[in-house]
Parts: sequence; C-alpha cells; structure tokens
Amino acid sequence: MFKKILLATSGAPSTFGAARVAFDMGKRYGAEVLVLNVMGVPTKAYSQVVNDVRTGEEVEVDEEYRAWVEEELKNTFEKQIESVEYSRIILTTGLPHREILRAARENDADLIVMGASSGDSSVYRKGYPGSTLQRVAKAARCPVMTVHRETASYWGGFGNIVFATDFSKQAESAFKFALATARELDTDLTILHALDISGKVLDQNEIEDRIIAARERIRTAYDLDGFKNCDVEVWEGVPYVEIVKMARERSADLIVMAHHSHELDPEKARIGSTMEQVILRAGCPVVSVSKPDKV
Amino acid sequence: MYDFLTGPVLWATFLISFGGLIVRAVLYVRGLDWRLDRVAYRPNLKYGIRGGLRSIVAFLIPFKARLWQTRPGFTLIFFAFHIGLLVTPIFLEAHNVMLKQAFGFSLPAMPTGLADGLAWVCLVGGLFLALRRIAFPEVRIITNFYDYLLLVISVLPFATGLIARYELGAYDFWLCAHILSGEIWLICLPFTKLSHVILFFLSRMQLGMDYGIKRGGMKGTDMAW
Amino acid sequence: MPEGILCNKTPIKTEEQLKLTLADKGGKQYYEELNNLDVDSDKLWASIQATMKSRTKTWLEICAHCGLCAESCFLYQVNGRVPEQVPSYKIQSTLGVMVKKKGKVDNAFMQMCMETAWAKCTCCNRCGMYCPHGIDMGVMFSYLRGLLYSQGFVPWELKIGAGMHRVYRAQMDVTTEDWVETCEWMAEENEEEWPGLEIPIDKEDADIMYTCNAREPKHYPEDVAEAAILFHVAGENWTVPSEGWEQTSLSMFAGDWECCKDNVLNVYSAIERLRPKRAIGTECGHAHRATVIEGPYWAGREDGQPPVPYIHYVEWLAEALRTGKLKIDPAKRIKEPVTLQDSCNYVRNQGLKNVTREILSYIVEPGYFVEMSPSKEHNYCCGGGGGFNGIGMYRAQRNMALRKKMEQILATGCKLVIAPCHNCWDAIRDLEEEYKIGIRWSFLKPLVIGMLDVPEHLRPKDEGEDE
Repeated sequence: MFKKILLATSGAPSTFGAARVAFDMGKRYGAEVLVLNVMGVPTKAYSQVVNDVRTGEEVEVDEEYRAWVEEELKNTFEKQIESVEYSRIILTTGLPHREILRAARENDADLIVMGASSGDSSVYRKGYPGSTLQRVAKAARCPVMTVHRETASYWGGFGNIVFATDFSKQAESAFKFALATARELDTDLTILHALDISGKVLDQNEIEDRIIAARERIRTAYDLDGFKNCDVEVWEGVPYVEIVKMARERSADLIVMAHHSHELDPEKARIGSTMEQVILRAGCPVVSVSKPDKV
Repeated sequence: MYDFLTGPVLWATFLISFGGLIVRAVLYVRGLDWRLDRVAYRPNLKYGIRGGLRSIVAFLIPFKARLWQTRPGFTLIFFAFHIGLLVTPIFLEAHNVMLKQAFGFSLPAMPTGLADGLAWVCLVGGLFLALRRIAFPEVRIITNFYDYLLLVISVLPFATGLIARYELGAYDFWLCAHILSGEIWLICLPFTKLSHVILFFLSRMQLGMDYGIKRGGMKGTDMAW
Repeated sequence: MPEGILCNKTPIKTEEQLKLTLADKGGKQYYEELNNLDVDSDKLWASIQATMKSRTKTWLEICAHCGLCAESCFLYQVNGRVPEQVPSYKIQSTLGVMVKKKGKVDNAFMQMCMETAWAKCTCCNRCGMYCPHGIDMGVMFSYLRGLLYSQGFVPWELKIGAGMHRVYRAQMDVTTEDWVETCEWMAEENEEEWPGLEIPIDKEDADIMYTCNAREPKHYPEDVAEAAILFHVAGENWTVPSEGWEQTSLSMFAGDWECCKDNVLNVYSAIERLRPKRAIGTECGHAHRATVIEGPYWAGREDGQPPVPYIHYVEWLAEALRTGKLKIDPAKRIKEPVTLQDSCNYVRNQGLKNVTREILSYIVEPGYFVEMSPSKEHNYCCGGGGGFNGIGMYRAQRNMALRKKMEQILATGCKLVIAPCHNCWDAIRDLEEEYKIGIRWSFLKPLVIGMLDVPEHLRPKDEGEDE
C-alpha cells in the first residue's frame, strides 16, 4: 500500500525524524522515497529572488544553487538514501504547502511524510493563514504522516496502531487506512473514541451511558471484516489528552486520525485542532487522513 | 516713432501673435493621436468634453483644485499675477482710447487707481515668482535662464508702463519702450512657453478628456481634481 | 555596433534565449554588457519623430518649471525632498534632453534615463493631477520606457518579464497545460467543501469569462479556487479560457509595446472564441490596466473599449453583494480597524474609487473602516508599482519608496490592510518584512469567503454531525 512516499523536508534537523520514518518505511516496504525540498519562497513579485526556507535570506535560484542544495540533501541523508532501493530528490521553489501538494499530486504519492516544526512564523508564512501542515493535511488526497520530534520516530516497524475516531465522515477514511495498514503489516489495532467532556458538567451515569453508546456505535460503524487483533476503547476527557494517553499505554507506534478542520486562521485553528495537539505531544508518528482516495 | 509702433508694427504684432496662437492651437489638435495618446477622443466625444471642461474649470478657479488648496500662498500670488497680467491691458483706459480711435468702439475702462494697483500686483507678483525660483530647491533645479527671461518679458510692459504713467524720466521714451515691450510680449506668445495662454486650455482639455473617457469618466466617476 | 549576448536591442523571443538570460544570476553579465551597449541615435530619433506627437511635445515645451509637482510625488517626499526627485526635473533631464539632442545621446545618459524611469518613477500618474498645465509625467515616463526598451536599456528582470510574455504568453512559465491542470486540481481540491464546484474551461457563451494573473496558477492557485468558489456561490454561469487567461503585462512595465499588443490580442481572441457576455479580471491593478484600460488601444480598437464589457474583480464583487448573489453573515464582518489600499491602476486610472468602498460597507462592521489620507484618486502608490517590486538592482530604492505607504498605514492605526491588487499586496507584504510594523493584509476574495452566508443547498452534506 505504500509504493511512493513523499518526504517533505527542508533539510533542517527538525525534519530528521520524518526522514527516518520515511526511509525506514521505504526500506521495509520497498517503496520509492521522493525527497521534496522547496528551496525558496518567491516573495519579490516577478523577480527571480526567493527567500531561502531555512535562513530566510534572499537567494537567486540557478543551476549552481540547485546543485548545491541537492548536494547538501544528499550529504544529509546519505546513509538513508543508500538504504532504500528507489529514491529521488525533487527540488522546487514556491510556497511549501502548495508545492508539497503539487508534488504529491503529480507523483501520485501514497503517503506524505513531513516534520512539524512547532509553528514559528517562518518566512513563507507571512500573509498566508494556516501552517504548512494544516494546509497540506486539509487538501492532500493521501494520508499525511507527521513526525514531530526525532524521538517520536523511533522505528522498528509497526506493532500497534491507535485509531482515534470522532465519527466524522473523514474518520471513515481514516479507519479504512488504519485497518488496511494493520492488516497488511499485521499489527494490533486499537479503536478509540475520546468522549469530549471538557468544559461540560455531566453526571457519572450520563457519561457511562454515552460511553456505552459510543462503543456500540464503533462496533456498528466500523466493519473489521474479520480482522481479529483489534479492541475498542472509549475514554472520556479532553480528546487530545486521551488519545496521547492511550498511545502511550499501548506503546503505539502510529496514531491515525481524521483531519477535517476547514479553519485555516492559525489563531482559531490551533486552539481547536485536536490533531495538532496530538502531533505536538505524541511519542510516535501521527497520520492524518481527510480524503478517501488513497486509503 | 510712436505712430510707427502703434501703426504698422502693432498690426504686424497682432497678426503674428494671434495668428501664431491660432496656428499653435490647430497644430496641437491636429497632432493628437487617439492611438498614441490612447484616448478614444472621437467616439466618446461627449464624455471627453465633459471631462475636459471639468478639468479646465477646476484649475481656472482659485482654490478649486486640490493643488490650489495645498499651497494657498502661492495660489494667491499666482492668481493675482495672472489676473493682473490679463485684465490690466484689456481694460486700461489708455488702451481703450486707442481701440476707440481705430475701430470706433471700446471696452469699459477701469478706474486708474485699480489699473495702477493691478500693475503693481503684476510687478510684485513677478518678483515673488522670481524669488521662489531662487529660494526653493525644487524650483531652482528646473529653472533656467529662459524662465527668468520670460518673466522679464512678461512684466516689462508693466514696469515701463508705470514709469511712463508716473512720468519718471522722459515720457516719450518710456511710452515707446512700453509699447515696444508690449509688442515683444505679444510676439513671444506663440513662439515661447507663453503659448500656454492657449495651450493651457488645450493641454488641460486633453488630460480632462483622458480622464473623462478612459480614466473613469465612462465608468461614471468624476475625477476629483 | 556592439550588442551583448544577453543585453541587446532585440527582445527575448525564444525559450532558449529566455533560459540563457535567466541563467545569468542577478543579471551580472547582462549589466556588464549594458555598459558597452551602443545607442542607435538615428533609430532613436526616428522613433521619437514618429511617435512623439503634439500632446507629449506640448507637455515638454510648456512646463512652466513651477515645481508644484514636487510635493505630489511620493518618491520626492520619502527621499529627503531632494530636488533631483522633482517629477518635472526627472522627465526634463531625461526625455526632455533626449529630444533636445535629437537622440544623439550616449550610453551613460541612457543608463541614467533607465534608472530614472524605473527607480524614480512608478508611473502612478499622481503628478499629473497636480500640474496646472495638466502635464502627466507618468504617461511620459511610460513613453520613455518604451524608447529605452527599444534601445536595450531595461532592467534585467523586465527584459525577462517581457520575454516570458513573448515566449509563454504569461508572465511566468505557465503553459496552457499547466493552467488547465491547475484549474482541475483546484476544483478537485475544493469540491468536498463546496459540493458541485467546478472550474469550467472553454465553455462557450457563458455569462462571464474570468482571467487572472499567472502567479496565481504558479504559486498560489488558492486564488483561482477562491474565485471559483465565489462564482459558484453566486450562481454565476462562468468559464475560464484555456488560452488567453493571463491578463497581466510585465511588457507594459518594460515598455515592450509590441508584446503588450500581442498579450491583449491573445485575451481578446479568447473572448471572441468563447463569446462570453462579459469578462472579469482578478484582483490585480496593472493586469486590469493592461487588458481593459490601455489594451483596447494597443489592439487598435477605435472606441477604446474591449470587445465585451470587461470589469475588474471589485466591480463584480460589489455587484454580487449589491444584488444579493453573495450574502454576508453580519456576525462575521470585520470588527477591527481596517484600511483600504487604492490601486493607482484602476482607481486613479479608471475611477473605480466607490465600488471598493461599497464592498467594504458590506464586509466591515460600520465604524471600523478607516480611510488612508489621502485616499481615492489622491492616494499614493503602494511603493512597488510600475515594476518597481521586481527589480533587484533597485531594491534599496524600492524599500525607501515603501515608507510613504508605511506612514499612511501607521497613521490610520489599522492592523489590517485590504489590498485588492497583486502589486500593492506584494509591496505591503514587503513593507512588513522590511519595517515590521505588525500589520496583516489581504485580498478581498479570502475575506469574503470567510464571511459568506452560504445557502443551504451549497453546503457540504453530513458535515460534523457529531463531535
């Protein structure tokens, strides 16, 4: 199911975790790793000058610069590139989220893997609402895997997947992805619904009733199609906390969630987005799925 | 000398001056090119005329255009100078006497005191215009000898006229000098920047047509000059 | 007559030459060659004689040297009011001298003219409003640019820009396939959120044909998607042409009139092919000026009008809000002080000063809109107009030029600036990057989408039915 993995990297250490996961998957599943680097963000009208994504400095992209960037990337990921059978470096200029989406579409990628820097307002953010991650997660046709920290990328293959559902339409796609991954890679799967009781006063009986209802709903909504290594949990609390707790308890090495926030205003989206909170806190990669095409 | 200057020379002067100005105006209009100027004058003439007249009126009335409001002091001097320059010669009693002698009719003459006042306004105004050319760097940089010369040509008839009027020195000499300098001024009109007596209207009209046709007029918004 | 390999009198006509020029990083070799470029005085003089008619001649001649234009020029204001920045001086010392010398000028003079024409004037036409004689120096500078371009004296980026238009018929290397593909992509990307959304390509006899700026498909196709969403919600019968969709004209900034004509004919032929009732362009100032205001003249249309009514995006938006095709949810209106940047190219140059304010009356909570001072047709250039934004060699001058807009914005006390023009938008972004005054800026499309009252049948189904 993973034939082409698109690794979006700036080449900076914050993306090393993502690179480790991407290359490891490439090695294990014989996938092609496409290393995408958006060299610069055009900001000076129609001029040839771009802002380097890492330094923010103004550079002009020519063959020489291109060659230098390619060389840098090759050096940075030297061992990893050698470890996989197929890999390719794609260099481009533009706005990162847009170019990631473009490359994923052009190459028909099965999975996008990217790092998640903690959202500083880097050069390219100016004037565009939403972080690169939010924009990619929202629009990508394929699942998007985010590796926030290098420690979150500890990788020895998949053993345990936590799928967190909010019963949205997008969650159906996320479930399909989680199940297919679990089946194909022969892992355990935990289906979790976090009953959101933050900011609400509910008596214990009502909470318990709701938990029972949610369990029932999971059983009817998600057809396991004979898959056995699966259990269902419903925990109450603040969703992102419960999801992270569950992942820790099960020593999960992958969390799968649905992404369906249309809100791109960073101020509003950041507070509201469970997914982003999970990404920041989880000790393993997080896959977000928002479209049914590639699951 | 007086007869000669007020006779054939004056006729020739009028011919050259007014004829020349008419030629300038005709050449200007004929030289307009809808394609190069990028203004469709003819098909949108109504919009053009409206825009053109608005444009002229805005700059003809003191303090109407935004420009005139930004520099009230200059505006005052500038209008006083131009009004003096135009009104005095036309309504001066002495000039109208000549008109009457030649054609048998005359325009209403203004009181001598007013005429004197206006002449002084011209002189003082001219002086200020010269001084600002020296004083302000943004004017100094574009000023050349020619600008001073034109200023001198324009105020000379008033200076000589006043000298003659107050009978300082030889009256006949200053009278002739006055007539001569007036004729020089008239002859200069079509051949120098003084052609703006007519070209001001045409140039303003043109830009007004541009705005009236292409730059908003046909969209129903009037330029706020 | 020495002409360089890159810097010469021949426009870039082939992809090969374009790539060669692009590969010259920062125009280093280009500008070296410029130092040795000969002036073809005979050609220059012939060209002046053929194209300088009574309007421009008179303008040059009757300038009273009064200096009243000085204060009207924002570049004069921000550059310490040095007299060399007086518009009259700038044009007299360049075009004026060139004419006086009957084209017999040297390389150094032409280089001085080049700097003056592209780094000391943005062709904002503001001075023309303040000259008693109605002398529009912006128009003359545009004319001078044409003369300079024909002699090869043009900044590197603009030589390339005009070349792009000649080679790709777009200001960036966006081919017809790229464009069509981008439209499909954007429809696909947003169809879930906006059921039924499509970007109809080459639909004949539609009510609207939409054209845009090549930077949209190239770098932020969201803009194309946003236009589509708004047309979709408004229920418009619209289309984009597969060919002739690019409305901008860097060739206008460069003074490549031949190329300008080609650009605009390309758009008009799309109109003739698809027969829309009218055409609408994107939120771009110079694109509108090139295709709608000046374009008809380049195309030789005697009535000075495009083949069908061709309106700016703000005109359509105002109309859609006025007629209720688009409805704003009053709760989502802007509730913070907000100001508006009037684009010279369609406000001073086409009088569209009221429609933008009409739009604001729908999307801004009453009392929160603050006018810049001065505003409307008296507003100052954003600081990056006329090609200034993109010329690397004049970046320092451009950054200085941004100061006027900065002062104006600071004086409004607003943190949000609405800039319905690509060039202004860019300049204001750069302004923030350069001077960090803590402002945000936006086109109208994303703002309006964010506050739409979307009719029930256009909303996505089973959305967030459960938490």
